[in-house]
Amino acid sequence: MSLLAVRNITKTYGSGRTQVTALEDVSFELDRGKLLAVLGPSGSGKTTLLSIVAGLLRPTAGEILIDDEPVHLHGSRAAAAFRREHVGIVFQDHHLVPYLSAAENLLLVPHFSGRITREDRERALALLAEFGLAERASHTPAELSGGERQRVAIARALMNSPEIMLVDEPTSNLDTERGKHVVDLLRSHIHGRDMTCIMVTHDARMAEAADDVLRIVDGRVAADLPA
Amino acid sequence: MLAIKELLGGKLKFGLIALAIGLVVALTMLMSAMSEGLITGMTGAKGSLAADALVFQGDTYLALERSVLSAEALEEVASAPGVASSYAVGHVIVSVDSSAEEFDARVFGLGDRFDQLPIVEGTTAAPGPGEAIIDITAKANGVEIGDTLHLTPADAELTVVAFTEHRRYVMAPAIYTDMATWERLYLASALGTMAEGEGVSATAMGEAAERITGGASIVAVDLAPGTTVESLQAELGGGFEVTTPEEAALAGNGMPVMILAVDGIQVVSLVIGALVIGVFFYITTLHKTGQIAAIKALGASNAYVYRQLLLQITILVTAAAGVGVALALGAGGSMPPTMAFDPQVGRWLVSLAAVYAMAYLGSLFSLRSILKIDPATALDHSGH
Repeated sequence: MSLLAVRNITKTYGSGRTQVTALEDVSFELDRGKLLAVLGPSGSGKTTLLSIVAGLLRPTAGEILIDDEPVHLHGSRAAAAFRREHVGIVFQDHHLVPYLSAAENLLLVPHFSGRITREDRERALALLAEFGLAERASHTPAELSGGERQRVAIARALMNSPEIMLVDEPTSNLDTERGKHVVDLLRSHIHGRDMTCIMVTHDARMAEAADDVLRIVDGRVAADLPA
Repeated sequence: MLAIKELLGGKLKFGLIALAIGLVVALTMLMSAMSEGLITGMTGAKGSLAADALVFQGDTYLALERSVLSAEALEEVASAPGVASSYAVGHVIVSVDSSAEEFDARVFGLGDRFDQLPIVEGTTAAPGPGEAIIDITAKANGVEIGDTLHLTPADAELTVVAFTEHRRYVMAPAIYTDMATWERLYLASALGTMAEGEGVSATAMGEAAERITGGASIVAVDLAPGTTVESLQAELGGGFEVTTPEEAALAGNGMPVMILAVDGIQVVSLVIGALVIGVFFYITTLHKTGQIAAIKALGASNAYVYRQLLLQITILVTAAAGVGVALALGAGGSMPPTMAFDPQVGRWLVSLAAVYAMAYLGSLFSLRSILKIDPATALDHSGH
C-alpha cells in the first residue's frame, strides 16, 4: 500500500476572469523508502503541489491521503499538528533561524511540540554528526557555508522522524557538485527507512538521482517517467 | 526560547529599541513629575495644611488671598459642634528684597502647629516672634539660615531659622511665622495698600485693622468623629465656606484649568509613547514575516508566535522602564530646586502600568499581522 496518495488535485486562485489554475487534476502515489522528484519550470505548480501535500494550502478539488488519512480535510490547527508529527520540510532558502545555532535549529521541532528532552538533544547532535556537521553544532547559520546550511535544514526536517519529507529546490543555491552531494545524502537517508520524500526541482540533473520523476508543466502532469 | 534567543542574538538592535522606548518612558515620567511639580508648586503650602477641613470666609471661592476671618469668626468656628480642634492660618503676599535676588513669597501664619512642617535644615523648634521657616526653594534666591529677610511692602524683617520643603504657593516659596508676626505683616501690607488708594478714610482703615486684629485668613479644623465637611458647612452656614485641604488646593488661581491642561499633557505624552512603542514592535514583526512563516510551516502555532512577542515586549519594556526611570531621576536631579519636578511613586507606577498596557495593546497590531502571515509563503517563492 502506498504511503502517500495524491488524487485528482486541482488548485485554483481567484474567480471569474481573474481565475488562475495552478494545478489541474494531478494524481500520483508514492511508496515508503522512495524519493520522488517533481520536475518543472518556474511557475509550473511544483511548489503549490508541495504546499498542498504539506497541508499549508487546501486543494480546490481532489484528496491527499497519507497512510489512508485524508489530510486535505484538516483545518489549519490540525494541519500544523500533523506537520509537527509526520512531515519534515526543507525550504529552498533553508529558513534557518539566524540567531539559533545549528543544534538549536534542529531542536525547534520538538520545542514546537512541547518540551525538549535529553533524547531530543542527543538526536539533534546525532543527526548533525550524520550529516558531517558535528563540529558545527554550535555555529549560527551565518557561520556556515551554503551547503552546510542546506544540510542543517535537511537534518532539521528529519528531527521528528517524519513519514514524509518535502524538499523544495534543495540545490538551487548550490553549485552542481555540492547540489549533487546534498541530493545523494538525501537519497541515502530515505532509502531503507520508513519514510518517503518529494523533492521539487527545476534541475533535471538533480532529478536523475530520484527513484521517480513527476514532470509538471502549466499545472498538469506532463509525464511519469522512470528515473 | 525563541524570544530570549532573539534578544540575545540581536543585542545592538534590541538595545537601541530598549533605549528608544526608555527615552519615551523617561519623557512620560518627566511629564508626570513636572506636572506634579507644577501642581505642588502652585498648591503645596495650601494642600498640605494638616487638617480635616479648612474654613474660609464665605463667597471667597476658597481663595486664601480673599478670605479674612475676624477673631469672633475664629471663635465661632472653634466652638462649633463637631470641631475637635482648630488653629488659625494667616496668608499674605510679600516681596523679599534683601537677598541676592528679589523674589515674591507667601507668608503663612501657622498658629502653634509648626510640627507639621518637614524641616530639612535648621532648627526644629517653632519660630519665635520675628523668626521664620522658609521653603528650601528660596535657596536659589540666595537665602541661607540666619539671613535676615526684608519684606516689602510691609517694611518688616524676619530671620530665617530653618528650611522646609514642598511648601510653595503659586510657585512662590512659603514663609512660616507665628500668628502675631503674620498679623503685623498683614496689617502693614493691607493698610499700606489702602493708604495708597484714593478716597480711603482713616476710619475705614481703622475698621479694617480692628477686623483683622486677633483674626486670620482661614481656620484649619480637625473634625470630631461623625462630623463631615458637609455637616460642618451646614452648622456654620453661608458666612463660611468649608472644604478639605485637597479640594481647597485645587481651587482658585486658575487651578482647575491648569490641572485640566496638565492632565491633557500627560495623557497625550502617554498615548504618543504607547503608539511609538506599538509601532516599534509592529515593525519588528513585519521584518520577520518570512521567518514567522517558516516556523509556522514547521508547526508553530499563532499563539506560540504571539506569546514570544509578548515575552519580548515584557523584557524590553521592563529594561526600558529601568532606563527611563533612571534618566528621568537623573534629569530631575539636575534641575534647579525652583523648577517644578515632583516625582510621585504612585503616579509613576500608574504611568509605567499604562506604558505596559499600551505596549501590549500596540502588540495587537503585530498579532493581526502574525495571524495574516500565511505559512505557505515560506515555500511560495515564485508566485503560484
